[in-house]
Amino acid sequence: MELRINQKTYQVEADADTPLLWVIRDDLGLTGTKYGCGLAQCGACSVLVDGNVVRACVTPVAGVVGREVTTIEAIEADAVGKRVVAAWVEHQVAQCGYCQSGQVMAATALLKHTPKPSDAQIEAAMVNLCRCGTYNAIHAAMHELAQGEKA
Amino acid sequence: MTHRFARTAGWLALPCLVAAGLLAWYVTREPASPFADVQATTADPALISRGEYVARLSDCVACHSLPDGKPFAGGLEMATPLGAIHATNITPDRNTGIGGYSLADFDRAVRQGVAPGGRRLYPAMPYPSYAKLSDDDVKALYAFFMHGVQPVQQANLASDIPWPLNWRWPIAMWNGLFAATAPYADQAGQDAQWNRGAYIVQGPGHCGSCHTPRGLAFNEKALDDSGKPFLAGALLDGWYAPSLRADPNTGLGRWSEAEIAQFLKTGRNRHAVVFGSMTEAFNNSTQFMSDDDLAAIARYLKSLPGDPQRDGAPWQYQAETTAALLDSPGGHTYVTRCASCHGLDGKGQAEWMPPLAGATSALAKEDASAINITLNGSQRVVTAGLPDAYRMPAFREQLSDQEIADVLGFVRSAWGNHGGAVNPQAVGKLRGHTDPASSSPIILHMR
Repeated sequence: MELRINQKTYQVEADADTPLLWVIRDDLGLTGTKYGCGLAQCGACSVLVDGNVVRACVTPVAGVVGREVTTIEAIEADAVGKRVVAAWVEHQVAQCGYCQSGQVMAATALLKHTPKPSDAQIEAAMVNLCRCGTYNAIHAAMHELAQGEKA
Repeated sequence: MTHRFARTAGWLALPCLVAAGLLAWYVTREPASPFADVQATTADPALISRGEYVARLSDCVACHSLPDGKPFAGGLEMATPLGAIHATNITPDRNTGIGGYSLADFDRAVRQGVAPGGRRLYPAMPYPSYAKLSDDDVKALYAFFMHGVQPVQQANLASDIPWPLNWRWPIAMWNGLFAATAPYADQAGQDAQWNRGAYIVQGPGHCGSCHTPRGLAFNEKALDDSGKPFLAGALLDGWYAPSLRADPNTGLGRWSEAEIAQFLKTGRNRHAVVFGSMTEAFNNSTQFMSDDDLAAIARYLKSLPGDPQRDGAPWQYQAETTAALLDSPGGHTYVTRCASCHGLDGKGQAEWMPPLAGATSALAKEDASAINITLNGSQRVVTAGLPDAYRMPAFREQLSDQEIADVLGFVRSAWGNHGGAVNPQAVGKLRGHTDPASSSPIILHMR
């Protein structure tokens, strides 16, 4: 089947119900997206599909044929994604970093739909798990991003 | 005076004694079996293999085995309102199983719920349905259990129902009132496929055990299509077993015959994926049915009319009303916890993740299935030897009663769904009943 990932077209051979995550990591070698729980609970595998955040571990690959997938590898090609990564660097959010590609995807998706989210909206959208407990740093970075673009 | 009293009492005592004698005979007798004088010890391979198929149709293994135990060795605990009972060893072991059963003994147990010696079985054994098995299928089933099953020495566990509630003889009177008494007879005016479907659904498949509502005596309110409650949907063991009639909301009204057959063969179709108690029925039974039998079942089920009064106005997908609902506590939880799989539009993903828009569990007024699956997730669905790639996770540890009530209230109101709000107390109650650490699991509570 034919997949569009990060503005490129890939031909992949996979069963229709193969999780998108396996195809991205194992078949295409895009390993920036991480495997966490495999049950859509932790968010480490978050990617964007047509601009919406989805958990790639529970997304049958057949369902994204004909849609535009964005992974962490290309997030800085997106204006919003670029701002998110810059804020993440500025606030030194990452510790071990394993969950952070998913955190960045969740943040980007939120800001694409809601450029100036309220604290409540941030809290409702940023639910990915982080074992290092970087939640405060994530919140600080998000709070700054929610102020809008700096002049 | 005293003399006359004694004489009257004597005259009264006589019919009382006769009645008591008749009653004692009735409740302990071994009922007739067409196999009473038949010596059937044949090990004919064709018969054994037919019997194995009948055992699949009847899903004997689901109750008469433990998940990690030997097949048919029994031991599964079932909590009844009176106390726990245990499924028995039905392997051909002579000491602890049914190796000593004659064909007639076996027939009386399967079709009439009577063990050798006249002891009545609890109707947890679905003999009110198995009564409809044909003589030939009973013979084949017997051949399978005698020659196709490995004997296992494993003693049966006693029930913990206290005296005198553990008397078995009153069940004989329950049987007289509520159990079917004759094998299925083809209905004139219906073709062979329909009749085959009716036979499997009413008899070996015992679909009504879960899907037919029960009366005050825990009796199924109808055992065949002559009664309107037959397969009309019922609450059982913390799950709502939906209607299997042509009800568009709570039943199979929107399913085609091909989709019914696909569901029973592969565990999924574009409307739903098996979950709850149906997972066992699918894993152990329906997927092993032949394509012809599944088509017959689908044909028969689609012939059962729905009841608009019970089922309400047919569901239609509505996108407009949902946007406003999304900005609510339940809507927020839906977006972050559920939408990855079930979609922001509630339409699910192909046949892998079921849609919630138009789902029975979101349309039925009984919210048990919606609560239960959210708390406890789905069981492993194994199709043709392969476990499922996707499974509903358990949210028992992540979401509070209030959060589950909110998100289910959203799901049951969005996209045209009209199941309605969910009470947090109902979530709390089911949370307690289905706690894996609880000492009172709810299996077969029949309520």
